[in-house]
Amino acid sequence: MDKRIWAIGGGKGGTGKSFIAANLGLHLASLDREVVLIDADLGAPNLHTLLGMKAAHPDLGDFLTGSLPSLEAAAVETPYKNLRLVRGSENILFIANLAHYRKLRLLRQVRQLPAPNVILDLGTGSSFNTLDFFLSANPGVVVTTPEPTSIENTYLFLKSCIMRVLKLYMDHYKIRDLHQKMLDQIEKNSQSLYGFFKSLMETDRSYGTILYRALRGFRPCLVMNKARDQEDVLLGRSVADVVRKYLLIDMKYLGAVPFDEEVHDSLRALRPYYPDHRNSAAAKAIRQMSEELAYSIEFTLRTPPEIRLPDA
Amino acid sequence: MLKRIEDWNYYELLSVERTASQDEIWEGYQAALSTYKDGSLALYGLVSEVERGLILERIQEAFQTLRDPDKRKEYDLALLRHAPYFPPQAPFRKSVGKLEIEEAPPRKTLGARLKRLFVKNP
Repeated sequence: MDKRIWAIGGGKGGTGKSFIAANLGLHLASLDREVVLIDADLGAPNLHTLLGMKAAHPDLGDFLTGSLPSLEAAAVETPYKNLRLVRGSENILFIANLAHYRKLRLLRQVRQLPAPNVILDLGTGSSFNTLDFFLSANPGVVVTTPEPTSIENTYLFLKSCIMRVLKLYMDHYKIRDLHQKMLDQIEKNSQSLYGFFKSLMETDRSYGTILYRALRGFRPCLVMNKARDQEDVLLGRSVADVVRKYLLIDMKYLGAVPFDEEVHDSLRALRPYYPDHRNSAAAKAIRQMSEELAYSIEFTLRTPPEIRLPDA
Repeated sequence: MLKRIEDWNYYELLSVERTASQDEIWEGYQAALSTYKDGSLALYGLVSEVERGLILERIQEAFQTLRDPDKRKEYDLALLRHAPYFPPQAPFRKSVGKLEIEEAPPRKTLGARLKRLFVKNP
């Protein structure tokens, strides 16, 4: 089965991650594709509200505590055909500090879900749980807004992802001493990642090659949400370009979702946005984004370009 | 390719292909200007003011070179000597097997052989 797991994440709260996740799900479901939305915001789940539903059991917590045999059992029907939802847990304290083995079980079950489209709505921040959910998706989508705080946190989030990818590989190849070196060097300046790889290539080319390939395999996408003018749309393109150049990862810009006052009204009315505003500019942007995302499966799976070793 | 920003070539600076038309170069130049302009949000929290100034200088240099056909030709030749370029859209064959099949001479069918035997100038 051609399975798609998309994770919607980002460094800052309030950028519209849940909005994008819910409406992408609604759009795909309207195309007769079976979709499971998972509210993986472990700290503040509210995806059900964006779909006009109330918090109730079963939820993600029931699966994680073992009350339910599988994640599939926690996926409840929504008022929308082809769309199921795994609600976020109300037991915030327990869930936010998820044990490692529970996280692995969850990730395994997400991959085993029989639905062809799975969308994970992630929480804010750079906890290992959030980063691992983001990295397990193909691709992960970073949602940002045209504000300095949001852009700053986007870079921080991506840096955290990069460090997590590199750490996982370092652990696997048992080169943990490099981890501290990376942490010391990477915080210095914008070109510190380059500096880290350059010095690694000089000291140990084989490990440098492995880690650089691992980094190039991480290929997230970017969405600029709440764009108010053309400048905001272009800002998304600039951010992706800066990420490619300074953070050395191949980021794809999916496009901008225009700001719409109606979103607020939909929220107040406890009604999902997409079905009532199919002809709005934001809904059109979401449709276009889903097409780009469908294509980006190939983008993320193909061999990353430009893998050429630097001369040490 | 892992490169220092100072080592980016003009095409990489403007984020265009080496086969880019003059219009594409102009668009790339405008996009680069908006990315690295004073107070650009895209650089917030990642790129320092000094670095921004340096890159902006190189962007100007890149545009001045690539907009002039003679200068561009000269630059391309120098670049080719340094690193050969393979256009990403270049058609290529996926497997050796296919290559052999495509380039093999057409099969001589029985009809063609008989025709050759009986017709002097086919």
